[in-house]
Amino acid sequence: MEQWHSHLLRERVDQSSLLIQGNRACALGALDAGVTFFAGYPITPSSEIMEAMAEELPRIGGVFVQMEDEIASICACIGASLTGKLAMTATSGPGFSLMQEALGYAIIIEAPLVVVNVMRVGPSTGRPTAPSQGDVMQARWGTHGDHPAIVLAASNVADMYRLTMAAVRFAQRFRTPVTVLADQLVGQMRESFSPELVGRYRLTSGDFDFTPGYIRPELAPEVRPPHILGLDEHPHVTGLFHDETGFPTNDPDESNEFLRELYNKVAHHREELCLYDIKNEGKGRVCIVAYGSCARTARAVWRLAEYEGLPVEVLHLYTLFPLPVEIIQQVARRVEFILIPELNLGQYAHEVRKMAEQWTTVIGMGKIDGTLFTPRELLDRIAELTGKYESV
Amino acid sequence: MLGSVAASFRPRFGLLADRDFVEVRLGGSGGQGVVLMGIILATAANHDGRCVVETESYGPEARGGYSRSDVIIAEAPIDYPKLDNADLLVALSQDSAQGYVKSLRRNGVLIYDSEIVKNPPAFAGATIGLPFSLWAKEETGRIQATNVVALGAVARITGVVSIQSIREAVSEAVPAGTTEVNLKALDRGLSVDPAEWETDQR
Repeated sequence: MEQWHSHLLRERVDQSSLLIQGNRACALGALDAGVTFFAGYPITPSSEIMEAMAEELPRIGGVFVQMEDEIASICACIGASLTGKLAMTATSGPGFSLMQEALGYAIIIEAPLVVVNVMRVGPSTGRPTAPSQGDVMQARWGTHGDHPAIVLAASNVADMYRLTMAAVRFAQRFRTPVTVLADQLVGQMRESFSPELVGRYRLTSGDFDFTPGYIRPELAPEVRPPHILGLDEHPHVTGLFHDETGFPTNDPDESNEFLRELYNKVAHHREELCLYDIKNEGKGRVCIVAYGSCARTARAVWRLAEYEGLPVEVLHLYTLFPLPVEIIQQVARRVEFILIPELNLGQYAHEVRKMAEQWTTVIGMGKIDGTLFTPRELLDRIAELTGKYESV
Repeated sequence: MLGSVAASFRPRFGLLADRDFVEVRLGGSGGQGVVLMGIILATAANHDGRCVVETESYGPEARGGYSRSDVIIAEAPIDYPKLDNADLLVALSQDSAQGYVKSLRRNGVLIYDSEIVKNPPAFAGATIGLPFSLWAKEETGRIQATNVVALGAVARITGVVSIQSIREAVSEAVPAGTTEVNLKALDRGLSVDPAEWETDQR
């Protein structure tokens, strides 16, 4: 079933004639971005990414390994990354939990790789076949210590393709793991892959360029030049704080500088990392801030709100971390309410509240029953908020 | 615009052919190929040059348990990907007929396998029971082809997808070596005589 050949499909991707599953689109995006190594362990609802990589990588001379668990999977990816390969793994919540320790190691040794987490309802084995956005804060703070994190969120099949490509480029440029969050709905749905579905990926500095050389492939200035294993160098790699030589250091000044540089290489580049789209810009009293599958409901609301005479803006976030501080504060300054629907108990709403509450009222809407918000639920809440305001 | 063959218009005729936004729910039990039905239907709609979203939901069991596939077909890109109210319900099990009939619009269409759904639920709109599993056995000797027989009848009766596209989609989606038998099953469904079901409409 669903036999496919990526070279044929790739030709069709931009001709908008493709009906493809989100997980397969993710694999395709990775291959098109140059990923040549995949190690993974199957888990619902992400397994199709691994299946697609298992079919495709051998055909292009890449390496696919099914490992014994998720810890081994990410460690294999780190190893491949150290030899200069573009590496990726994919999992869901339980596997993502297992990967956290090694993720921290990848961050500190500056090994670029992409981790895709197709979220299901947790904690623990939870509900494997239901969508959730419960791993948002884990994606930011799952591994210990102060560390940088780049986290992207896909809302449709086209995103699964495009954002995976962006994730690979971000990983290369900042030499750090990049997490792509999807959920059961986005990962396992099939939809027409049309250019119209690709949101306008905006940055505060302008539109994000997705043409082939779309992100500067060279390293960000703060990134230390990598040592590639197998090139007759003998680099020293350690998870301990280290100096330029790669050997451990305990010096307070050097440690301070080391960690700040590691952290800031991402924090200082928000303007090229924070992808978003905004609908009805400047015309709303309420702004829905949404990401992932909830953004689809939000976009439906944006279309319906006009008919119902409700003044609604929609801020669709594709990058969750680093926090898109500038755009959220711009919105917060002009609207009366920010409404954040998420398939969790308010994880991202807390982050937005910290940035925005001095200007506006931030209201989280959480849902954890494994279903998506309906447009009606959001419209009713908005009518309630705006109506309440009128009557005061 | 959208779709591989958007340039060549593919005619569609049937009860739902003129709806610009169609929500289809396919229900049955695990192992009947309900998810594959959804994929084939979605692929066909994509070939028709329309926008499609297919989502699925099933229980944790390998066989038995519930299985469901929802397909939304529209002229414009689809934001909200979940089914709101169904225009068409295709039920291959008693439970799914009973359970999902509530999700049907009043002007919707209910199609069920009359061999399996012995007590069709009350529904005010078009209600059509046809013996898909019997036809599958007669035509191909394999009850597994029931889903494809049903797809043929769905295309003929409702026109949510064109005949040409459903034929192509079946050929693309079924396992290698089973194309012939599946196309035979599809043709059985496609050959449904309107006289056989029109009498059932209320």
